[in-house]
Amino acid sequence: MSKIWVVIKCEYAQVVKKKSFIISIFLIPLLMAAFGILPALLATKSASSTQFLGVVDQSGAGVGEEFKSALKRYKLDDGETPYYEIDNIFIITPGDSEAFVSSVDSLTKALNDEEIKYFLIFKPGIEEADSNMALVTNSESFRTISRFEKVISHIAATMRLKKSNINLGVDSVLALTRRVDLPRRDAQGDSVDFETKYFASMIFISLIMFVIIGYGQVIMRSVIEEKTSRIMEVLVSSITPFQLMLGKVFGLGGATLTQLFIWILMGAALYFGSGAFAVAIDPGIAKIVFNPVVLTFFCLFLIFGYLMFATLFALLGSIVNSEKEAQNFVMPLTMLLVVPFVIGIAVIQEPNSTMARTLSMIPFFAPTLMMMRIIFVAPSVTEYSFFSGILGEAILSFVLLVVATFFVIWLSSRIFRIGILMYGKRPTLPEIIKWVRY
Amino acid sequence: MHLELENIRKVYDQKVAVDRLSLSVPRGVIYGIIGPNGAGKTTTIRMIMNIIAPDSGNIMFDGKKADISFLERVGYLPEERGLYKKMTLRQVITYMAELKGCPRKTTAGRISPWLEKMGLIEYIDQKVEELSKGMQQKLQFITTIIHEPDIIILDELFSGLDPINVELIKGILMDLKREGKTILFSTHVMEQAEKLCDNICMILNGTKVLDGTMSEIKSQFGKNSLHVEIKGDGSFISELPGVASLTEYSNYLEIKLAENANTQLILSKLVEKVEVRRFEIAEPSLYEIFISTAKVDPKELEDEAGAANV
Repeated sequence: MSKIWVVIKCEYAQVVKKKSFIISIFLIPLLMAAFGILPALLATKSASSTQFLGVVDQSGAGVGEEFKSALKRYKLDDGETPYYEIDNIFIITPGDSEAFVSSVDSLTKALNDEEIKYFLIFKPGIEEADSNMALVTNSESFRTISRFEKVISHIAATMRLKKSNINLGVDSVLALTRRVDLPRRDAQGDSVDFETKYFASMIFISLIMFVIIGYGQVIMRSVIEEKTSRIMEVLVSSITPFQLMLGKVFGLGGATLTQLFIWILMGAALYFGSGAFAVAIDPGIAKIVFNPVVLTFFCLFLIFGYLMFATLFALLGSIVNSEKEAQNFVMPLTMLLVVPFVIGIAVIQEPNSTMARTLSMIPFFAPTLMMMRIIFVAPSVTEYSFFSGILGEAILSFVLLVVATFFVIWLSSRIFRIGILMYGKRPTLPEIIKWVRY
Repeated sequence: MHLELENIRKVYDQKVAVDRLSLSVPRGVIYGIIGPNGAGKTTTIRMIMNIIAPDSGNIMFDGKKADISFLERVGYLPEERGLYKKMTLRQVITYMAELKGCPRKTTAGRISPWLEKMGLIEYIDQKVEELSKGMQQKLQFITTIIHEPDIIILDELFSGLDPINVELIKGILMDLKREGKTILFSTHVMEQAEKLCDNICMILNGTKVLDGTMSEIKSQFGKNSLHVEIKGDGSFISELPGVASLTEYSNYLEIKLAENANTQLILSKLVEKVEVRRFEIAEPSLYEIFISTAKVDPKELEDEAGAANV
């Protein structure tokens, strides 16, 4: 036991004292924000300044003006400044193709020069076919498109009603057929929208991925170093291979926990801190990220996911002869972590589907997929009922992960002790199976 | 500690690496395992170090089967050298000692004197990768003995060391022997084995062909050698009656005598033609014994030894 401790201390100190460790503490959250999450978040955020747009109205029915006045109801966060401002309306007689082309050209130029963000084209008969209109833009925003569709639907419906023979006032029909905007909230009366959940789940699963893949490779490289430099021969005459493997996994695990702890402190400082920091964090995200149930499962899945994958990386290091050779096998191993990212889209849309349920029970996928489901299944993230629903499933999936982790450690220890002293030819799968039995 | 090997056998695939090998290494001696490359020296040492398991036979420390706790009292320098390149000298020595069960505090007091002795003290807080290859070897030698083991096992100790460092290490080995440590080392460089070893075991194709103290082995072969130093062209000597073979060293000739050779006749023939500075009837050198026992081509062995001494 004391020998494991010696290895743990050494591996921990080696990593923690490195400059790259200190840099990564700050860099990883920044990179995550920059590459993964910020664009998604920006797309769903309200604009900070008025968006300018143009309209080419060839409808001959004043659609452009109606559209303009309907947009007035959307305001920026201050509740006063209009969200949209129509810069140019070209009202063109139907059939005047020359004027149409020149106005489209001038708006295209304005769009490319970034003077406006969108322009719309209304041709005659928008109430008959959607192909009689178009939105031209270089940067779509889900929110804006949904608003435009709503506004134009209303205009088109009005036109259809006027043409029809329904003997009712247009306004009353529109009032009767009004499109709903479903408000979402949880049992506590708080609402957490889809985007916020997505953002929060991305924070967790990218942390899990960064930690596992990053440290997993550190372990693999250190095993390869010891193997190729033959330090391994001295090591195995001092400690058992099992002690060595566990010492490495736990030593770097300690470094992981240190990093995690610092991240949580940083997050808490942002959350509870005063002034600019507190403003910077979205209250919806904070509600998820600082939820004790979510945080607990995050730590559990991270720790055991790490233990399982780190052991596999150590195992991989023991059976190859060089880092180059190892790279061929790193790919499939990291794919196990990346796959959930890809199928994750399906999981968040239908978090209780059979596929999502089954996959989140598989230990390799559990750390990422179950984490997503924990956040997405609950309509409210603020209250989980214990031993039922998603919480029960999460516990089951965690137990399976723990069992699988111990199995992987047992299996690896049997292969590791032989692999680390084998040089030259890489063992074949049947040979490895023989080692496990030996 | 007394180290014993009983009937050790190890087979790789079809090839017998070590066969029915029994050794007894008494406490406090310098014990040399000699043999050409591929004879099974390294395999034997690896089995002693519990790195590979023998197919049959026992390895005993003080009459008990070897395990990790016994191995803590052994220092081992593997044939292929390597250390943690990113650690400082101090860190790497401390870590290796700690793995052998030697506490940090104890090691801390030993590091500087050893580095001083090896001429590495100025690099104490630099990274291993900044050292030259020869320096790294000396460092690794320190990591092998820092926990003050009872038995020190060195596989091809001198390969890659320059003559100055060879002398330095030899001196240290003699000191360690005086302290009562047992030193077991393998080599194919006979001159070094001859100068250092109290006991010799020669392995050939996995089997023991010679075993005993240096004087026992030499007396087995009798005084059948002539050590001759001459001035002038000695090319005619191999043609003389009674000369079985001839080995030329840089400053003298070693002549292996045929049975019933007349040494006085050889001397008179020599005096006739060249100036004789030394003429000694001697025991054969270990090298001669090795050549005649192994029946290897001396030229081949020269090349190996030469390559190892670069």
